[in-house]
This record gives sequence, structure tokens and C-alpha cells, in this order.
Amino acid sequence: MELEKFSYDNKIVKAFIIATVAFGLVGMLVGLTAALQLVWPIFNFDLQYSSFGRIRPLHTNAIIFAFVGNAMFAGVYYSMQRLLKTRMFNDTLSWINFWGWQAIILAAAITLPLGLTTSKEYAELEWPIDIAITLIWVVFGINMIGTILRRREQHMYVAIWFYIATFITVAVLHVVNSFEMPVNLFKSYSWYAGVQDALVQWWYGHNAVAFFLTTPFLGLMYYYLPKAANRPVYSYRLSIIHFWSLIFIYIWAGPHHLLYTSLPDWAQSLGTVFSIMLIAPSWGGMLNGLLTLRGAWDRVREDVVLKFFVVAVTAYGMATLEGPLLSLKNINAIAHFTDWIVAHVHVGGLGWNGFMIFGMLYWLVPKMWDTKIYSNKLANLHFWLGTLGIIFYALPMYISGVVQSLMWKEFTPDGFLMYKNFLETTVQILPLHMLRAVGGALYLVGTIIMTYNLIKTAYSGKFIANEATEAAPLTIASHGNKGWHAVLERKPIVFTTLALVAILIGGAIEMVPTFLIKSNVPTIASVKPYTPLELHGRDIYIREGCVGCHSQMVRPFRSETERYGEYSKSGEYVYDHPFLWGSKRTGPDLQRVGGKYGDSWHYYHMLDPGSVSAGTIMPAYPWLYEQQIDKEQTALKINALRTIGVPYAEGYEQTANEDLDKQAARIVENLQMEGIEVIQDAEIIALIAYLQRLGTDIKVKDTALSANQ
Amino acid sequence: MKNKIIALLVMLLPISTWAQDATATKGFWDDPINHPMTPFYVLMTLVGIVTILVFVVAIMLLQVLNTFVERSAREKASAMGVAYVPEPSWWTKLDRKLTNAVPLEKEATIVLDHNYDGIKELDNHLPPWWKWLFYGTIAWSVVYLVVYHITDSVPLQEQEYANEIALADEQIRKTRAAEPVAAIDEAALAYTADADLISKGAAVYKNNCASCHKDKGEGSIGPNLTDDYWLHGGSIQNIFATIKNGVPEKGMIAWNAILKPEEIRDVSFFIMSLKGSNPPNAKAPQGPIWKEEVKTEVVKTDSVKVQASL
Repeated sequence: MELEKFSYDNKIVKAFIIATVAFGLVGMLVGLTAALQLVWPIFNFDLQYSSFGRIRPLHTNAIIFAFVGNAMFAGVYYSMQRLLKTRMFNDTLSWINFWGWQAIILAAAITLPLGLTTSKEYAELEWPIDIAITLIWVVFGINMIGTILRRREQHMYVAIWFYIATFITVAVLHVVNSFEMPVNLFKSYSWYAGVQDALVQWWYGHNAVAFFLTTPFLGLMYYYLPKAANRPVYSYRLSIIHFWSLIFIYIWAGPHHLLYTSLPDWAQSLGTVFSIMLIAPSWGGMLNGLLTLRGAWDRVREDVVLKFFVVAVTAYGMATLEGPLLSLKNINAIAHFTDWIVAHVHVGGLGWNGFMIFGMLYWLVPKMWDTKIYSNKLANLHFWLGTLGIIFYALPMYISGVVQSLMWKEFTPDGFLMYKNFLETTVQILPLHMLRAVGGALYLVGTIIMTYNLIKTAYSGKFIANEATEAAPLTIASHGNKGWHAVLERKPIVFTTLALVAILIGGAIEMVPTFLIKSNVPTIASVKPYTPLELHGRDIYIREGCVGCHSQMVRPFRSETERYGEYSKSGEYVYDHPFLWGSKRTGPDLQRVGGKYGDSWHYYHMLDPGSVSAGTIMPAYPWLYEQQIDKEQTALKINALRTIGVPYAEGYEQTANEDLDKQAARIVENLQMEGIEVIQDAEIIALIAYLQRLGTDIKVKDTALSANQ
Repeated sequence: MKNKIIALLVMLLPISTWAQDATATKGFWDDPINHPMTPFYVLMTLVGIVTILVFVVAIMLLQVLNTFVERSAREKASAMGVAYVPEPSWWTKLDRKLTNAVPLEKEATIVLDHNYDGIKELDNHLPPWWKWLFYGTIAWSVVYLVVYHITDSVPLQEQEYANEIALADEQIRKTRAAEPVAAIDEAALAYTADADLISKGAAVYKNNCASCHKDKGEGSIGPNLTDDYWLHGGSIQNIFATIKNGVPEKGMIAWNAILKPEEIRDVSFFIMSLKGSNPPNAKAPQGPIWKEEVKTEVVKTDSVKVQASL
């Protein structure tokens, strides 16, 4: 048979590699800054654009979508062409994918520090950017499916399966979670409210980890690890079983982020059991990776690429055991809201994703520039700095999480909280936060060394933009029946459809009842929509990223009801678009803060938290006292919320600002009695109004609980 | 390198102990030399070191022994004229048993007829322990759902909470019954300048009150506590009652859920002791001037659910 001549597109891979390294450095630097702020808040340089609440999402987005995302594209674009023996389907689409993705990152880097955020974790970007992400993702998908259809290899290799699952699932997750009602070009409200929003968000959030940080990287592992080790993949049937079980089970596990919250018990239990059932499928990937190295372990000692891969796969195994254990209610009761979770995600992020990327880059760059790595010594140094960085990051955070959680829960024998003031527990863990910053710094230094090493490597070689190759055209003839799955591997469309079905089942079973059966969210008659001023205040709360450090979810534990007040009920959140339950308590829960302190307390506290709570790590918000709310937006906000189901009376938007002024005047009056002069339209007034409202609805005397109103 | 990591791990440990100890009680690191547990810690460290040394020596001896065994086996093999095949190590045997893998040397029999850019695939069995782990988690999940949602054998979160509260109430009741303390309340309280109580009260004040009333009682968010003007009365009874029940509408929380009665007494005494101290930057007077003979109504208990300080 005649061989066809063609070439692989390396230029697109090169572009994605450069973006990976550049955004990796930026994302880690932002992370380090955030880590320092959690010890010394002044590291926000007293600028609103770099305050913790705004740069935390900048860090997570930069790492997930810019660093890991670009690395995923680089790795996929390189390996897919070779595994399918064809050039990418369309070079133009490849470049639209590249520049479109970078434009999205740029837009994120501008909007997040400006405080333009939906506040939903890892989905913070506002609606125009959400649309752009959808379009670019579809471009990537067309390019990928097109390449698969034009392949010269009859069967699709396991890496391709994972790429397909990544594409379709991320598309579904992103579209469903991004349903939002625009107020203006830069502001929208989540379509869902309260419990339902929480369920959708954590279905998304959990599976962003699964299908953006895990499945594409398992695909990459299946290509780069056997290539680097020059060993056959350990077990084909293990690949099949763990692939299908992984994508089917993963999608159900989202509710484990919401244990002991107001989410219905049955949904929480599904989250728990599917997380436990996920251990084996996850470990299937780790085993297939590590056992592929059988007979090559002696080379792991010398080959820095393999070293990175081994640590990465091991970190993957640890994180995917830890995750299910954290989904057990009794462990979750201790770990949730604490630094433990931060440690957990960083074992995955720094260990699995980071080290996979580093290993891949050290393997790819010399290949693509047709040379040898510039310095093996520096690469080894990077390996050890990175490993130490992970240890210095994770261990202090584990300790810190457990220590703080136990302090929150400790009672004296006569029934009083041992640590009455939340701050007492914060101060205790600050030394551990310092160590965490050291770990992060070590990791960043390693990455800087890698950057230098890779640049030197590239300069020592010659870049091959189009790698010439040849392969026989695709033959349709099937050579013998090798089982049902082999047949499936020849039918990409059927395969994709089956994968889609597999990932839709879990989400549908959890979400449809929560949305349709009203008894899942019992209505509380005294819960009313926010007033216009509170609405403005809530949007400021969202803009400043308060949810990054403060939960609004009192769990049904004695230690929480004693500290914060009555535990949260699902009916309290029915007008919360978006929900603001939070996932981390760097500061105390705020669900019941309304009416607890006077207005002047909040006034002074937001202006200079240290003057009210000595030793706090909460940053100051001086700009809230100078900036004024935009009252022209009031009507738009009311209208948008009414469209998605908040019962504001028809025409209320006309008179809303009158109510707003009245409420603001009352607060200003209260402050004047304490000798404070402040502009009535200042943002702080709106924020105080919102904080004073929080959790007060059910304090009204007739807390009538009617199940199905 | 491994040793260095271990050394670093060990270095991390004392930090955690310090973090815990520094809180309330006098910790080990405040005075390590005279701490009563020090001899024990030293002993345990020595025991640890000796154990490690014994292990190292044992492993070395085992290696020497192995060398002899292997040598004799080799000699025997050459005497019999057959090639020497080493016994598989325990690790190899365990690995084989756990993974049920085809040995490396026979790998060619299970290579699949594929080649993806040079990558070949073996068709090894699923590792048995992995398979059983998977089955086990599925079985566990079924049991979990049944006991929580079908047989209702294990309490769900609301019931769990009710149980926790009931248990705590019972324990508190027992604790109080075991050590009956004379009830402290505003009715029978008289101020004495007891230095011991006042210094205890100062500590309570610093942790709980200073954020609003400032370190020296000069007032900021809350009123000045050092002058003669009182919004809710300046007698020891008034002060005790105000702290105990709070003034929720003005942001003064009711502290009886957070502070024990004796702590409220101590801090009331401390506040009494501040009278006339005239600190700098004092807040302007609020409320009427207070004279001992004037009877001010004691603040009534508020029914609003009280909470601990944030």
C-alpha cells in the first residue's frame, strides 16, 4: 500500500507551550501573593484591584484555565496528531482556538481584578466571556472531532477516549452552569437560586476538577508516560474499565461539596456513595500509569521526565483517595471550610497537574526543537524544589486545617465554646500559613528555573514547525473481531454519543428532582426578597469576593449553632441569585450576622478591620467609603431578578430607588448618632444594609414552615 | 535526598505542637527544660533512635545472610551443572500476587496487535485487589443508602443535631450537678476591689470587649466606660446585667451564652475599676450622669437568640 506524505503541525503546540509557561508563572505569582496576604493583608498594597477577594479567583482561573488549560491544548494538539496519524483537521481552527483562548484569559485578567464576577467558583467570568468560552470550546471540539474523522489509524487509542470525554463534558458543564440573566454588559444573576444554584455549581465545580484537570491529563499520561518510558501500556482492559467507570461515576459526586448543608439528605448521600465508588476507577489510572513503568524503574532514577511523571501519578493517587475520604460525613464535618481542603486541591494541582505538565514540557521541548535538554542538573533541581514545595505547602495546611477545626468545635465542660472569638483560632494558624507561602515560593522558584532551562534548550536546537511524516491511508477492513470495545474504538461518533449518555445520567438524576419536587426546598413564609439597597449591598459583597473567606451556611452542629445561631434552612435562600454559601472559612460564617452588631461596628470594621479586631487578617476596604452606588442600575437589577422568579411587584422598579433612599437615610442617621458622617449613596451604606439583613428573615416571630406553598 | 526530606518533615512537627500549645495552657515550649514531660520526651527520642539503629543493623545482617545463602545456592547450581536462577524476592512475589500480572519476560504473549505512534498495549489482567476494592465500594454504597434512607437505622443530619444537643445538655447538667457553684447574678452582687478577680476580668475584657470599647475602656464603637455617664446604669448590678443580657438593638450582644457567670462578674469588676481612670482619646459622654443613689431600671432579658462573638 502506498504511504501518504503529510506533516504534523508543531507550531500550534509551540504557541500553547509558550502560553503555558507564561501563564504558569503569572498564576503562581498571584497565588503566592494571595498566600502572603493571608498572613500580612498589606500585601494587597491597599489597592482594591489586588485585595484577596478579587485575586483569589484570579489565581484559580489563571492556574486552571490559563496554565493547565494551555498545557492541555499543547499536549492534546501534539499527541492527537500522532496518535491518529494525521495533521490537525484545520490549521485556521487551531489558531482560532489558540488566540481565542488567550483573549479569554486576557479578559479574565482584566475583569476579575475589577471585581466583575459571578462569584461562582471556577465560573467567575461574566456572561460575555462565558459565551466566548462556549464558542472557542466548540471550535476546539470541531477541530478535534474533524481530526478524528480524518485519521489514518483505525482504532482510537485510550488517550483519545479521554480527550473526547473532556470535550463533551466540559461543554455540558459550562453551558448548564452558566445560565444567567444579564443586568448589563458586566453583570448578571445566576438563573438558579439558593440550594438549586449550589447543586448546579458544585456539580460543575467538582466536574471541572474531573473533566478539566483529570480526564485530559489521564489522556496525556497515556501518551507521554509510555513514550518517555518506552514501555507498553500495562493493561488495555484496565484502560477500558477505568475509563467508563470513571466518567460515569465522577459526574454524580458533586454533592459531596455540600455535606451537612441545606441540600436534601438524599442528594448528599448520593454524593458520598459515588465518591467512595470513585476510588477504584481513579486508582485504575494510577495503576495503569505506574505499572507501565514495570521494567523501567531503574530509568526513573536518571530520567527527570519519568521522575516528574511518577510523582504526578502518585499525587493523583493520593488526592483521589483523599477526596472520597473527605466525602465521608464524619471526616467532612472536620475538614470542610478549613485549610485541609486547600491542601487537598494543591496536592492535585501542584502534584498531579503541575508535575504532569513539567514532565511533558521537558520531554516535548527537546523533541520539537530537535535537541537535548540544556541542563539535566537544573531539571533535577526543579524536580526537588517542586517536590519540597508540595510538601511545605501541603503538610502545614493539613495541620492548620485540623487544628483550627478542632478549635472551632471545642467546648468547656460547662458547655461554653472554648474559643469564643473566631479570631483566636485564626491567629493560631498564621505560622502555618507562613510555611505554606514558603512552599509556594519554592515551587515558583522551580518553575522559574524550568523556564530558563526550556528557553536555553530551545535556543540550542532548531524548531521544526512542520514535522514531515508518512503513513498508510485508513483501511476500513476490520482485521478480526477483537471484542465489542475494539469495534467502538473504530466508531468515534457512536463512542462520543455513549460517553455523552454516561455523563448525563448522574447529573440528571440529581438535578431534576431538586428542581421539580418542591418538598426538597420547603418554603418559609417570612423569607422576603432583598430590598433595593440590600441588593446593591449584595452585589458589592459579590464584587469584593467576600464569599472567598466567609461562608453563609451554618451547619447543624452544636459548635456552629452556639457560635453563629440557628442552622441554615434551604427555604432561606430562595431569592439568592447566586447562592453565597462559600467553601472556605478564613473568617467566620456570616449567615446570621444581621442585627448582631450595630451599624457603626460594620462601618469601622470595614474601614480598618484591625482597629476593631486586633490581629485580624481581613483587609481594609477604604474605597467603599468613596465610591457610590449606581442607582440607575436599580431598576435593571429588579427587572432581571423578576424575570428569573423573584416576586418583585410589577412596576416596583419605578419606585425602588425611593425605598432605597429611605433605608439608606436610616443607616446614615444611625451612624450620625455615633458621630460618623458619611455620604448616603456611599457603597458602605449598601453593604451595611445587606449585612444587617443577613439571616434575619427567620428571626421574625411567625416562622411558619409550610412544606408545599 | 530522602533523608533531607525526612529531616524537614520532622522540623514541621514542633510547629504544630507550638500552634496548639500556645493557646490557653502553658505550653511545652514556654519552658522546655523544666517541663515535667521533658524526661519522658528525651527518653522516647532515645528509644526512637535506638529502634532505628536496631532496624538498620538488622537489615544489614539480613543482607549479609542473603549473600551467603545466594552464594551457596550458586555453588550448588554450578556443581549440578545448571544455570543459577535466583529465587524471586518477597516483593516480586507479593507484586505478582497482587497484580496478577504476566511476568516481564513473558510479556510478548499479551502484546496487542496495535501500535499508536510507537505505543503498544499489553492486555494484563485487572489487578485482583483493585477489582475487589471496586466491588467492595459498590457493596458499601448499597449498604450506606439502605441504612440511611430505607431502614432509617442511622440518623440523618437533623436528627443527628438533635441528638448532639440532647447529649450536650445532659453532660452540662451533670457537670453542674457535680460541682455546684453559688449562682452568680446581678441581684446579690457587690463590688469589691479584689485584685485577683479584676486581673481575671481584664483578660476577659481584652479578648471580648476591647474591640468596641478599646483597650483602656475609652470607647469607640461602644461607649466610654471610664467616665461618670452611663446609658444603662453604672452600678455593679447594672453593668453585670447589661453585659449578661446585652443591648441587641445597639450592637451589644448578650454575653451570657458566651461568658460564664463568673467571667461576667470578673469583667464587671474590671470595668468598675476603670472608673475615673481618664484615658487619652476618650469618647464623648453618652447617657445621663450616674449617681449611686439613682435607681435605674435593670435591662430586661431579651428573647433574641444569643450568639457567640464572631
